[in-house]
Amino acid sequence: MKRTGISLLVVFAISIFVVALFGGCATGTTKNATSVVDYLFPDTKDPVVTPGIPVLTLPLRVGIAFVPSDGSGHSRRSSGAFASFQNGSPALTEKRKSDLMQAVADRFKKYPFVKEIEIIPSAYLKPGGSFANLEQIRTMYGVDVIALLSYDQVQFTDEGKLSLTYWTIVGAYVIPGEKNDTQTMLDAVIYDIPSRKMLFRAPGLSHINGSATLVNQSEELRADSGKGFDDAAKEMIVNLDEQLTNFKAKVKERPEEFKVVNSPGYTGGGSGGGSIDLISLLLLAGLGGCFLWMRKHT
Amino acid sequence: MDAQAHLIAARFPYRTLAISAGALLVFILPGLGSLLIYDRAAIIHGELWRLVTGNLVHLSTSHLAYDLAAFLIVGTIIEIRGYRFFPMLCLSAATFIGIILFWVEPEMFFYAGLSGVVTAAVTYLCLQGLTEKGSWRWLCAAMLASLAFKFWVELAFGKFLLLAVSTEDFVPVPLSHLIGSVTAITLFVLMHLSASIKFTKTFI
Repeated sequence: MKRTGISLLVVFAISIFVVALFGGCATGTTKNATSVVDYLFPDTKDPVVTPGIPVLTLPLRVGIAFVPSDGSGHSRRSSGAFASFQNGSPALTEKRKSDLMQAVADRFKKYPFVKEIEIIPSAYLKPGGSFANLEQIRTMYGVDVIALLSYDQVQFTDEGKLSLTYWTIVGAYVIPGEKNDTQTMLDAVIYDIPSRKMLFRAPGLSHINGSATLVNQSEELRADSGKGFDDAAKEMIVNLDEQLTNFKAKVKERPEEFKVVNSPGYTGGGSGGGSIDLISLLLLAGLGGCFLWMRKHT
Repeated sequence: MDAQAHLIAARFPYRTLAISAGALLVFILPGLGSLLIYDRAAIIHGELWRLVTGNLVHLSTSHLAYDLAAFLIVGTIIEIRGYRFFPMLCLSAATFIGIILFWVEPEMFFYAGLSGVVTAAVTYLCLQGLTEKGSWRWLCAAMLASLAFKFWVELAFGKFLLLAVSTEDFVPVPLSHLIGSVTAITLFVLMHLSASIKFTKTFI
């Protein structure tokens, strides 16, 4: 009987210790990021590349790719002494990357001066591959312009006052005592590969605050991470449209900075459209007016 | 033949409004536009709906505004006057425009715009108007003559007259207007032929 009592006491003490461990590991920061600068300019000693004058041959062939991580700690987690208990792993999965690239491709597709859009698999981009790697992609896919997508997501987890309820054990399952804060940035940088000149960029930002119970925290973090990327992608796509419009205006205003040439046989659009002209619209308006007048007077 | 045979009861132009709302929705939701635009490569890969739905996509606000304003005017008149087969006209015009452009314009990767369907509707309205009496008939005749003149200029010079829409977004395709018009004429003639045959059978 005495031994059983001692065993119960030991089990209780261990339980409390485990709960304490959970509490200790709940605060932390997770950062996942890729960088266009690290990819294009890996050599920090000589980061300057003198760009030429971009010659944009219409219709454009555009590639879209996610910049690879350089594998040197851009995906990292810092937390308390018991980080092994946490497994948020909110990195962007290949599936989500593919969906995001498709969304960007869809946005480019509607522009008449874009002939083809190639989604470049991540495996074709080497970490720190720089412009030499882009030239390889240009040869392989026949693209002249590439949209390089990068991301930066930081997730903070903190304990709220409700985490005191973890001492009851049941609290760890039902009380959302963990406070999560997810900040995401997606960035699309459009480069002309032959001239190595950046044409424009479009960022998308997102900030999500959430909470979770101790037990489902990693699940919540993954959900927040996904939502963060989705929201940032939406904003980035809207900005992409805006920046593309600005870029078109810039090309017209500064012909010395950007040259635009048409491919043989290309008549200026690659895209056709039917539109009602002003004369037809005025005639129709007149016909409509006469129709209304006649209805009123007959 | 009695012109009234081609009329149905005048009604609220809900079909016109539905098609206009569709075009508006497609413009507001760019994802939908990407899914519906006439995209030659996608059509070759089996996305055949784009042949028809490309007519609902617009490439700029002004492009949408002009096409929609014209469509609302002509569609409303057609529906209020009770001319039959308006939905069939829109569908067949959109289909023929897509198919014929695919066939004769291999260099055109994308096509968008409702104006071909609008031209079909205007032609149809005017042809129906010619079968009626009074000043409406003469108005329709004048409109039809203007339309014919416009076609001649568009096809002769290969561009639209006083196009207010920025042509940086696309190359104007006057052929789509001609296809729309021919579709309307064909439908009109078929309707009359069918009505004549019915009339003859009944009489005999």
